[in-house]
Amino acid sequence: MFEDLRVSVFLAARATQRGGIGRVFMNIVIIALVLTNMIFLPSIITGSIAVFNQQNVDYITSDIIIEPREDDSYIENLDGLLATLNRVPGVVRASPRYESPASIEFEEESITLGITAFDPRDEEEVTKFQDVMKDGNYLGSGDHDSIILGYLVAGEKDKTGDFYPSLGGAEVGDTITVRYTGGIVREYRIKGIFNTKSWSADYMAVVTWDEMNSVLGYENNVADKILVKTSGNGEDVDAVKRNILDYGVGEDVKTWEESLPDAVTESVESFNIINQISVVGSLLIAVVLIFIMTTIRAFNNRKQIGILKAIGIKKSIIINSYVIQVLFVCLIGSILGFLILEMMVAYFTAYPMEFPDGDVTPVVDFAMLIENTVLLFVSSAIAGFIPAWRITQENILDAMRGT
Amino acid sequence: MISAVNITKTYIMGLVEVHALRGVSVDIKEGDFVGIMGPSGSGKSTLLHILGLLDRPNGGGITISGRDVLKMSDDEKSRFRLSKFGFIFQDYALVPELTALENVIIPAMAKGMPPDECVRTGMKYLGEVGLSDRRGHIPAELSGGEQQRVAIARALVNSPDIIFADEPCANLDSENSRAVLELFKKINEETERTVIMVSHEEWHKKYFERLILLKDGMVSEDKYL
Repeated sequence: MFEDLRVSVFLAARATQRGGIGRVFMNIVIIALVLTNMIFLPSIITGSIAVFNQQNVDYITSDIIIEPREDDSYIENLDGLLATLNRVPGVVRASPRYESPASIEFEEESITLGITAFDPRDEEEVTKFQDVMKDGNYLGSGDHDSIILGYLVAGEKDKTGDFYPSLGGAEVGDTITVRYTGGIVREYRIKGIFNTKSWSADYMAVVTWDEMNSVLGYENNVADKILVKTSGNGEDVDAVKRNILDYGVGEDVKTWEESLPDAVTESVESFNIINQISVVGSLLIAVVLIFIMTTIRAFNNRKQIGILKAIGIKKSIIINSYVIQVLFVCLIGSILGFLILEMMVAYFTAYPMEFPDGDVTPVVDFAMLIENTVLLFVSSAIAGFIPAWRITQENILDAMRGT
Repeated sequence: MISAVNITKTYIMGLVEVHALRGVSVDIKEGDFVGIMGPSGSGKSTLLHILGLLDRPNGGGITISGRDVLKMSDDEKSRFRLSKFGFIFQDYALVPELTALENVIIPAMAKGMPPDECVRTGMKYLGEVGLSDRRGHIPAELSGGEQQRVAIARALVNSPDIIFADEPCANLDSENSRAVLELFKKINEETERTVIMVSHEEWHKKYFERLILLKDGMVSEDKYL
C-alpha cells in the first residue's frame, strides 16, 4: 500500500514537473479563483447579516429587549422593574422606551409617526445614537423643547430620493410642530439629525423621557419596551437573560437574536440558500473543469498508461497518480485562493462596500472556509479519478498503440 | 516453464474475423532463448502478447511456472508481470516524463524496493547497457538505440524470469540491433533467463537458441538451432 502510494506520488510529481508547467499553472489559477468565488460571496452576505445584526443591537434592541406580556399593552410598574433589572448580574444598564403616536408638521409637510421617548443618559449606555449624529447634537437629559430625528424623517428637499414620507429637508435648528394624540401640540427645535444606516432606526423621532412626562401630564411609569445592555460578549447574553428571569421578571424577555422578526430570520435563511447555490455552482465549475482537464491529459497519455500497465504497474497506482496531481493542484490553488481572499478581505475591510444598510466588510467564517475547501478537494479528487479510471480500464495493447 | 496449449485468438475487424492464432501449442523451458519468426500477419506478436499476459486468448490454456495465468485477476496479472516478466517493445515504450534512470527504476519501486536500493540497482543496469552517463536524460534527449537500451535495463531491473521482446530491433540500425542482440545473448547465457523475442529479420536467427516459426496463425516449425 505504502509502496504503491510512493510510486503514485513519484509519477504525479514527475508529471507535474515535466508535463507542462503552463497547464499546471492554469489549473492552479482556476482552482484559486473558484475557491475565492466560493468564499468571497458568502463572506459578503455574512458581512451584510453581521451589519444588520449589529445595527439591531446598537439601535433597536440592544443585547436584550423586554416587551409587554402577550395580553398587555405596556410594561407596568416601570420604576420597580428598572431597579430590579439594574441589579441583575451581567446587566450594565436598562433603558425604557415609550412611544406615543403623533403627527409631525414642518412647513408644507406632515407625516404620521410615533414619537419615541427615552432617557438620554440611560440610552448612552445601551445604544449608540450619540455616536451617529449626522448634524447637530444628541439630546440632553433636561431637554424639553428639543427633538432629534432620523435622517429619513428629516428627508431631503428633493423628495424623489426619499424612501418614506418625510419632512422634506428639515434641518438642525428648524422648528417642527408635533401633534400628539389627545390634542397636545408641541413645538420642538430640531437639535440633531442621526444617521444609523439602519432603516428602522433612521425613521425615528426622539424626545426625552422628561418631555414625554410633560406631554402626558404625569410621571409615566409604563414603557413599550426596555432595552438592556449586558456586560459580556454575545455568548453571555443568554446567561444574562436567564438571570433576569431568575430575578422574577415576568415580562417577555428576549435576546436580540430571538427578537429578530420572522421576516429577517427567513431572509437570513434565504441568504444561506443563495450561499449554498453559489458554493454548489462554484464546485460544479471546478469539477467540470478538472474533469475536462484530466480527461484530456489522461487521453493524451493513453500510450504512457498502457506502457505502465504493460510493465506491471497496477491500475490503482496509475489512477492515484492522477488523483494526486489534482490534489496537488488543489492544494497550491487553495493556498493561492486564500492569499487572494486575504487581500480582498483586507482591501474591503479598509474600504468597506457601501450598502444601503451600512458599510459592509467581508466576514469569513472559518468553519465555512474549511468546509468549502474540503468540498473542493473531495469534488476535485472525484473529478480527477473518473477519467483516469476510465482510461486505465482500456485494453493494454490498444492503449499502447493509441488506437 | 511456459506451457501454452491450443491457443486461439480472433480479432473482429468490422464484419471480418481475423484468425491471428489457430491453435498454437508451445512449451518453453527455463533458460531458452526463443526466437518467434514468421511472415507479417502470422501471429508472432499476438502470441508474444498472450504469453506475456498483455492480451487474452479466445481459447486454450497457459501455465507459467505452474500457475494457470488465465484465471488470474487483472491485479494478479500486473503483479505477475512486474515480478516475473521484463518487456521490451519495438518503439521502446519509455515514459516520456521520466529520465533514463527513473524509467529503469519504476518497476523496482512498484515492487517495493527501498529508494536507495532502487537507485543503486537502476544504476547497475544502466551501467550494464552502457548508459550510466545518460541517466538524467529524458527519452526525447536519447537516440533510438539508447532508448532501447534503457528499455532493456528497465526489463532487467526486477530480475525477471522471462524477458519478452517484441521486435526490439525494428527501429534500430544494424549496429545498434547487433548490440541489442548481443546483450540479450549475454543476459540469456550469464543469468539463464528465458528470452522470448519476436523478429522478422533472418540474420537474427544466429542469436537464437530455439526458433518457433509461425505461418497463418499456426506453428509451422519449432526447433532448437
